[in-house]
Amino acid sequence: MRCSRFIIVMCAVLAVSSPRLQTSETGNAEPFALDIPPEILPPIIPDDNPMTAEKVSLGRKLYFDKRLSADNTVSCATCHDPRLGFADGKAVAEGIGGQKGARNSPTTLNAGFYDFQFWDGRSVTLEDQAKQPLINPVEMGMPSHDAVVEKVKGSEDYPDLFEKAFGTREITIDHIAMAIAAFERTLITLDSPFDRFIAGDNNAISESAKRGWDLFNGKGRCNTCHGYVESYPFFTDNKFHNVGVGAKNRQFDELARRAEHESDVAKVSHETGASELGRFLVTKGRPDIGAFKTSGLRDIALTAPYMHDGSEPTLESVIEFYNRGGETNPFLDGGIRPLELTDEEVGDLVGFLNTLTGSHIDRLKEEFAGDME
Amino acid sequence: MARHISLPRFLFALAAVLLLGMMAVAEVGEVAYLGEASGSDLPGLGEGIRAIPMCDGETRLIVDVPGVSAGEPMPEPVAREVAGLLWKRYQEMQETSGEILLAHGKEHTQREMMIWDTELKRVVDEGYRLFHSPELGSNGVSCDMCHPDASNTHPETYPKFQTQLKKVILLRDMINWCIENPLEGPKLNEDDARMKALEAYILWARKGVPMEDGKH
Amino acid sequence: MERVSRRDFFRLSGIAGAMGLVHWIRPASSPLGIVSLAHASGSQLTFAYVSDSHLLVRKGYDKEHRFTRALKKAVTDVNSMSPQPEFVLFGGDLAQLGLKEELDLGKGILSELKPKLYMMVGEHDWYHDMGEAWKGLFGEDRYSFDRKGIHFVVLNSVIVEDYWTGSKMTPMERMLFMAQLDNPRGNPFTVGPEGREWLKSDLAKVSKDTPVVVFSHSPLYKYYKRWNFWTDDAAEVQALLSPFANVTVIHGHTHQALVNRIGSITFYGMLSTAWPWPYAPEGLPELTRQMDRADPFNQFDGCGWGEAAFSQQGEADKVYNLWDREPMAVFYKDVKAGAIPGQPDRLHSGSSY
Repeated sequence: MRCSRFIIVMCAVLAVSSPRLQTSETGNAEPFALDIPPEILPPIIPDDNPMTAEKVSLGRKLYFDKRLSADNTVSCATCHDPRLGFADGKAVAEGIGGQKGARNSPTTLNAGFYDFQFWDGRSVTLEDQAKQPLINPVEMGMPSHDAVVEKVKGSEDYPDLFEKAFGTREITIDHIAMAIAAFERTLITLDSPFDRFIAGDNNAISESAKRGWDLFNGKGRCNTCHGYVESYPFFTDNKFHNVGVGAKNRQFDELARRAEHESDVAKVSHETGASELGRFLVTKGRPDIGAFKTSGLRDIALTAPYMHDGSEPTLESVIEFYNRGGETNPFLDGGIRPLELTDEEVGDLVGFLNTLTGSHIDRLKEEFAGDME
Repeated sequence: MARHISLPRFLFALAAVLLLGMMAVAEVGEVAYLGEASGSDLPGLGEGIRAIPMCDGETRLIVDVPGVSAGEPMPEPVAREVAGLLWKRYQEMQETSGEILLAHGKEHTQREMMIWDTELKRVVDEGYRLFHSPELGSNGVSCDMCHPDASNTHPETYPKFQTQLKKVILLRDMINWCIENPLEGPKLNEDDARMKALEAYILWARKGVPMEDGKH
Repeated sequence: MERVSRRDFFRLSGIAGAMGLVHWIRPASSPLGIVSLAHASGSQLTFAYVSDSHLLVRKGYDKEHRFTRALKKAVTDVNSMSPQPEFVLFGGDLAQLGLKEELDLGKGILSELKPKLYMMVGEHDWYHDMGEAWKGLFGEDRYSFDRKGIHFVVLNSVIVEDYWTGSKMTPMERMLFMAQLDNPRGNPFTVGPEGREWLKSDLAKVSKDTPVVVFSHSPLYKYYKRWNFWTDDAAEVQALLSPFANVTVIHGHTHQALVNRIGSITFYGMLSTAWPWPYAPEGLPELTRQMDRADPFNQFDGCGWGEAAFSQQGEADKVYNLWDREPMAVFYKDVKAGAIPGQPDRLHSGSSY
């Protein structure tokens, strides 16, 4: 993998992935080139939201804007903080008034490359994802999307920026989401010590990390779900698996059995701890009971604690969890089984995971330092 | 003053001249077939003349490759021409002599064919034995449990992206993956005779079996 | 060189690497468990089955064997059925090599089942010691019982012609000869003359309009001889059963979802807990909707257990509880009509997209 570089020819990549630049929407907006090496499959960008510099800068402003929350204390960046790997260092997210949610905040880094957003994959685009925390009562707590739009309209700085980005002063929730998504798509980190090792630099990572990489693809059985592929180096299969995290909560088995037999999913979704049912609540498919998204592993060293409920504090404890064979429950994925890794092997795997931090991180932290005010 | 000539006729003439010229140029200064010689009675070869051994190991094709010194590898276009000449001569010899131009110019002997078949059978049988034996793993599972008659192995589809390994692999890589995972055994080195035997059995057993997506 | 977006690429390319797993169709509606089915059709009786566990006890292998784990999983699943089934049938091949340790292990695990358990023998249980240990642990290999007006028969359908005496095989050699599914020299399964006589006299006491359910290890029809997916005297056995108004045969051995109908007899194959067999190259009954091939990374894929619900007339609906996949329900009315509805044509494995 090559080092990062600004390539004008990326416009050609974008031109194909978003075939029609909607000039009616973007006026004379300049196309924005994403910084991606050509051997990597580009992120899927919706046809109606091609990348432009104006959208990206508007989206950036919105991403860091606490006024989008009911009490003006929480912005996207509160839970997806550049200083904390674009996550928040907490087990579960904390929204307005210190309210806790049920899920660990995923990182925004490289999120544009995933097929699904949220741990249960209920959003298929970044645009759709961006709309939801705004009106989630325990996150940003706005009463409705209309209320968000009104607030944004009411501020002096936004209408001009929206006109530049979308060719109209008429602010809509879709445009707000589109701008945020455009900004998020620029948060790409690819140049890590591991990438340089793959490219041929044998000194890029330690011997322990190299052993860890072999274990990752062998005895650890990690790569079947967290696969690294040269054209898609994000360490996720974009699928959902029950590894038993929810079953650490003893009520899960009972809840899961009820979910299996209950044809009215809405009913089950109101039970205590129902969010542990994960993907099932979206697809209502039995194989999805207790299944959560395979998260990507880039920059994983920065985004402790881990799993959908933040229940694993360190990378080592995550490996130990898999080493035990996850947590038995009626719907445990049949691919999970005890691994019999030695302590040294666990250490090697952790060493490998620590090499996946992109070199862009510090630059990104610096770049957004001012926005965090 | 030249006789008046119509444009189409002129162009035709021009094309013909060019074509002939190209053909002539092709013969002069380019690769030229000079003949054949067998055994050790080779004429003294001049500069740019080469004697290329043919498929029977005895006859040599004598070609003129001007501009290429002895010991120097032929540039690709020249090599292609020589290869073309070899092939043309091979085909002509097959037609005229009625014999198959094989090693040493002789047909396979009964003995040879028996040896080949016996050796192949030996390796395939060893592969069959390993395929049906729990000795490759540690938990008593053998390949034939999930793959009776080597069904569901589809060796003809490799190389392909194998989702369990997350990369493009060959048959032997999947054999090793299965040994390590469902059979819980140590993987084989690629040059291990057992790996060759397993591949031999699988390939032999599935020869000519039609592909049915998602089925056996 | 045109670069296509990832979504477009997958739309355009018909192939997707490995095991053909990509050609899945998400079912629009899938019944979640037999409970809803049973209540819908007003069933007379529901039973569950667990089959083909092939337990292995191996010297030097000290951790929990995957086949053990799978059988325990099936027991847990059956015990959590709500409501509980009338009884549980074990469909044969409890042990892999017919060793006493394997059968003992199996008996211990199955003893955790809450409903009443009926046992049936498979060839892997039998040919090490010709059923001695099995009979000691579980009783006779052929018997019948009645429940709620339905007559149940358990057969030993894995009788084969003697292949071991002439060649002076040891017990283990005899067992290994039988254990290899693709053994080209094996003899076909039969119920046998004695078995048929027994069946005839057993059925003589049953009125012709009583629903009859026959449990046999091998399919009581001819599917694929090479793998002994076959009962050689199937025609004779079917002749004994055909006078009855409604007969259902539930069989093991084939480790796959299988549906057949011959005359007035419905045949349902049972899943294995240990591993799935591929479908045979020929002879597959037309009524069967084939399962997609399993993912070997996931030891439960293509495996599972099942349930059957019977109406008062003995019409049987069947649910295949495939682990890590949507359950597959087969309804009697469709079997009788001769066409299982097209959807899901293939079952997807693992979690959905």
